[in-house]
Amino acid sequence: MIEVEHLSKHFTLRAPTGGGGALRSFLSRERRVVRAVDDLSFRVGAGEIVGYLGPNGAGKSTTIKMLTGLLVPTSGDLRVDGVVPWRARRTYVARIGAVFGQRTTLWWDLPVIESLELLGHVYRVPPGRLRSNLREFGELLGLGEFLHTPVRALSLGQRMRADLCAALLHDPHLLFLDEPTIGLDVVAKERIREFVRRVNRERGTTVLLTTHDLADVQKLCRRVMIIDHGRLLYDGDLGALQDRFGGERRLVVDLAEAADVEVEGARVVERDGPRVTLAFRREDVSASDLIRRVTERHAVRDLSVLEPDIEGTVREIYEKNLLGA
Amino acid sequence: MVPPLTLEYAGRSMTSPPALPSASAPGARGELLASARLFVEVARLALRRQLAYRAAAFAGLVTNLFFGLLRSSVLLALLAGQDSAYGLGARDLVTYTALTQGLIVYLSLFGWWDLMQNVYRGDVATDLMRPMSFYGFWLAQDAGRALAGLLMRGLPLVLAYALFFPIVTPTSPTGWAAFLVSLLLAGLLSFAYRFLVNLAAFWSPDARGIGRFAFTIVGLLSGFLMPLAFLPGWLREAAGFTPFPHMVGTVVDVWLGKLQGAALARALCEQAAWTVALVLLGRWLLGRARRRLEIGGG
Amino acid sequence: MLAHLGLYRRLVLAQVRSQLRYRASFVMDVLAVMVTSGAEFAAVGLVFASFDRVGGWRLGEVAFLYGLVELSFGLMDLVFGGFDPDFMGAAVRRGELDKLLLRPAPLALQVFGSEFQLRRLGKVLVGTLIFALAVSLAGIDWTPAKVLYLPLVVLGMIMFFGGLFVIGGTITFWTVESVQAMNVLTYGGLTLMSYPMTVYTASLRRLFTYVVPAAFLNYYPALYFLGRPDPFGLPGFAPFLAPLVGAFTLAAAFVFWRFGLRHYGSTGT
Repeated sequence: MIEVEHLSKHFTLRAPTGGGGALRSFLSRERRVVRAVDDLSFRVGAGEIVGYLGPNGAGKSTTIKMLTGLLVPTSGDLRVDGVVPWRARRTYVARIGAVFGQRTTLWWDLPVIESLELLGHVYRVPPGRLRSNLREFGELLGLGEFLHTPVRALSLGQRMRADLCAALLHDPHLLFLDEPTIGLDVVAKERIREFVRRVNRERGTTVLLTTHDLADVQKLCRRVMIIDHGRLLYDGDLGALQDRFGGERRLVVDLAEAADVEVEGARVVERDGPRVTLAFRREDVSASDLIRRVTERHAVRDLSVLEPDIEGTVREIYEKNLLGA
Repeated sequence: MVPPLTLEYAGRSMTSPPALPSASAPGARGELLASARLFVEVARLALRRQLAYRAAAFAGLVTNLFFGLLRSSVLLALLAGQDSAYGLGARDLVTYTALTQGLIVYLSLFGWWDLMQNVYRGDVATDLMRPMSFYGFWLAQDAGRALAGLLMRGLPLVLAYALFFPIVTPTSPTGWAAFLVSLLLAGLLSFAYRFLVNLAAFWSPDARGIGRFAFTIVGLLSGFLMPLAFLPGWLREAAGFTPFPHMVGTVVDVWLGKLQGAALARALCEQAAWTVALVLLGRWLLGRARRRLEIGGG
Repeated sequence: MLAHLGLYRRLVLAQVRSQLRYRASFVMDVLAVMVTSGAEFAAVGLVFASFDRVGGWRLGEVAFLYGLVELSFGLMDLVFGGFDPDFMGAAVRRGELDKLLLRPAPLALQVFGSEFQLRRLGKVLVGTLIFALAVSLAGIDWTPAKVLYLPLVVLGMIMFFGGLFVIGGTITFWTVESVQAMNVLTYGGLTLMSYPMTVYTASLRRLFTYVVPAAFLNYYPALYFLGRPDPFGLPGFAPFLAPLVGAFTLAAAFVFWRFGLRHYGSTGT
C-alpha cells in the first residue's frame, strides 16, 4: 500500500540575525538546513492500522504532508498504491481521506448535512453511494441528532464525528488520522476508536494514526512507528516496544510523615518532603502489589500511578540511544 | 477612498494585563499620585507594545504617503491655477494632506474596536476588577497607542512632507503651543467618542455595524476626507453642531494659523467643552453598562 | 469544465446560504459597506457645490470614472475575495490551503469558491448609483459600439484588480509581511483611477500609464465614452486597451500563482 524508501525532506531556513525585521532576515546570507525527515524507509500493507508516533517537531507532520501529497520530498521514493502523491494530486487525494483533529474540513456556518452533501459533489461520489454511506456512517457515529445543526454550534466530539464521516464518504483506501481524539472525554474517545476499528475491519481501510494519546494506540494499533529528529527509531510490534522500553511506570506516594521508603521491585527516583516517587517495571511487580507493600510499611495519605506516555518513552529511547541508531 | 488595511495597525488590542506597580502610598494625595503612576505605567506598556511593530509601521507610512500624494493631487486640481479658494492656498492644501494623513493612526480614524472585542470575548469582566478606574485604564492604553502612532506615523510623515514639499508650519511659539493643546484635546475627544461608540457592545451583539456608521461619519464631518471649507455651507453649519470638526478640522486650522486671537481661544474652548461633555457621557454610560452586566450576570 | 462550473456554483451557493442565515447582521453589513463607500464619494461630490471642475472635469464626468471603477472593484472583490492577500494570508497560516489541496478539485476553483461575500454587493450598488448619476449628468452620446464596449471595460477592470489580488495572495506563500505593499497598488490603484489623469503630476501620470497601465483601464475608456479629446496625445486605440490590459494582468498573475504553488509544495509554510 504505502512504500517509502530513503525519504528525506530538508528545509533551508534563513537564520534570523538578532532583532531584525523581514528585510534583514531576507538579506541575511546565513542559512541553516533543517532535516525534518531524514532517510526514512518503511512499508505499510493494505488493511493495517499503524500508529505513527513521536514528540512534537519530530517530523511527523512533515511525513504526513508528503504522504498526502502536500509536500514534495527533497529525495527518496514514496508511492501509495503505485502512485506518487504530489505528481497526480487530484487523482491521488480522491483515494485518501484525512481527519485533522485540530481543524475541521466542514463549512463553519452550514448544517452538517449540507457540508457532507457538498463534499459528496467535490469528490464526485455517485448519489446512491453517497446516500448509503451517509446512512451507514450516520448510524454508527450517531450523527442524526445534529445533522441539521451548523458546524459552529457543535461540541468538539460531535464535530470530530462529523469530520470522520466526511473523510470516509468517498470510500478512501487510506485514511490519515491526526490527533482524532484530542480534547475529547473518555466516552467520546471510545466511540471514535470503535468506529475506526469497525471501518478498518469491515472495509479494509488502511489507517495511519498520529496521536499523543497512548490509549488510542493501545486500542487500535498492533504496529507502531516512532520517529524523532526525522529518523525512524522503531518500527514494530507495540507490545514488544512496551516490554523493552516503556516498562517504567511510576507510583507517587504522599506519606503521612517523611520517611525512607524501600520496597522490593521498585526504586526511588524522586524525594520531595513527604512525597516520594517510585519507578517500577510491569514485569517486576504489579501496581497493586507495590501499593500493598508500601501501605504495609508506611502511613500513606495519597497515592497515584502514572503510566509512561509516548513522549516519555520516545525521549527515553532517543536519549539513551537504546536502539543503537 | 481609504484602504481598510491600516485598521490592523491602527488599533492593536492589549489583552494581557500590565504588571502594576505596587501602589501603597496612603492618603488622598498619595492615592492620586499612585493613580497617576499607574496611568503612566499602563500607557508606557501600550506604547512599548506598539513600538514593536516597526516593520508594519514603515509599510503603513509608505501607504499614508502614497495616498497623501493622490489626495493632494485632487485638492490642488480643485484650485485650477487660482492662488487660493475658500481661504486655502496650494501650500495650505498640501499641509492639510500631510496633517490629516499623519493623524489617521493617532486618532484611529479608520475605526477602533478594542473595547468591543474585549466585551465580546468576555475579557471585560477581569478588566472591570482592576485596581484602577476602567475608564482610566482604557484611556491610558489608548494614550500609549496614540503616542506610538504619533511617533511612528504622524511625525515621520509630516517630516517627509516637509522635506519634499513646501508646507506651512506654525510661525510663533504661541502658534506651536496652541497646536499642541489642540492636538492633545483632539486625541482626548477622539478617544471619548470611540469609547462611547464601543460601549454599544454592552447592549447589542451587532455593535460592529453601529461602529462602522459612527466612524464613517467622523471621516466626512471632521474634515478628514475633504477640508471643511470646501463643503457646502449647510453641511458645514450642521457639522458645527457636532464634536466632529474638533477632531481634525480645528487641529489643522490651528496649525495653518487660520485661527487667531479670540477665534483661536473660542475654538480651543469649544474643543475642550466637547471633550469634557463626551468624557462625562462616556463615564455615565459606562456606569449603566456595568450595572447591566452585573444584573445580567455577563 | 462544465462539472467545474457546477462545483463552483455549489460552493458559492453554500456561502450565500450561510451568509443569509444571519439576516439582521447581513443587512447591517451591507448597509455599512454602502455607507462607507457612499460617504467617500459624498465628500467628493459635495465639493462640486463649491467648485465647477476637478482637473477640467465636471461632476458628471468625475462620477463616471468614480462609479465605473467602484462598481468594477466591488464585483472583483465579490469574485476574487478568496485571493485577497489579507484573506489568503490568514488561510495559509491556519492551514486552510492544505485543506483545499486535499480535495480532488482544481485549487484555484476552490479558492474562487471560498470567500464569496455577498455584502460586497453594497459597494457594487453604490458604484452603480454613482454611475447612474454620471450618465444622467454627463450627457453621453450613446452609440451601439459604446453600449457594447462598456461591459468589456468593466470586465477589464475586474481582471486587472483580480490579477493584483492573485499576485498579492500568491506572495503570502512566502511572506505575509509584504502584503501591505501589494495593497497600496490595489487600493491605491482604485483611488487613482477614480479621478482624471489630468489631476496628477506628469511623473505620477507616466508611472501609471507606462509602468502600471492603470490609465488604460478607466481614464482612456472614459475619454471615449464622454467624447473628450486626449490631452496627452496617445494613439487613437488607447481607449480600447482596457480588456487587453486586464486579460494580460490576470494571465500573468496566474502564471505567478502556479510558480507560487510549486514553491508552496516544496516548503509548505
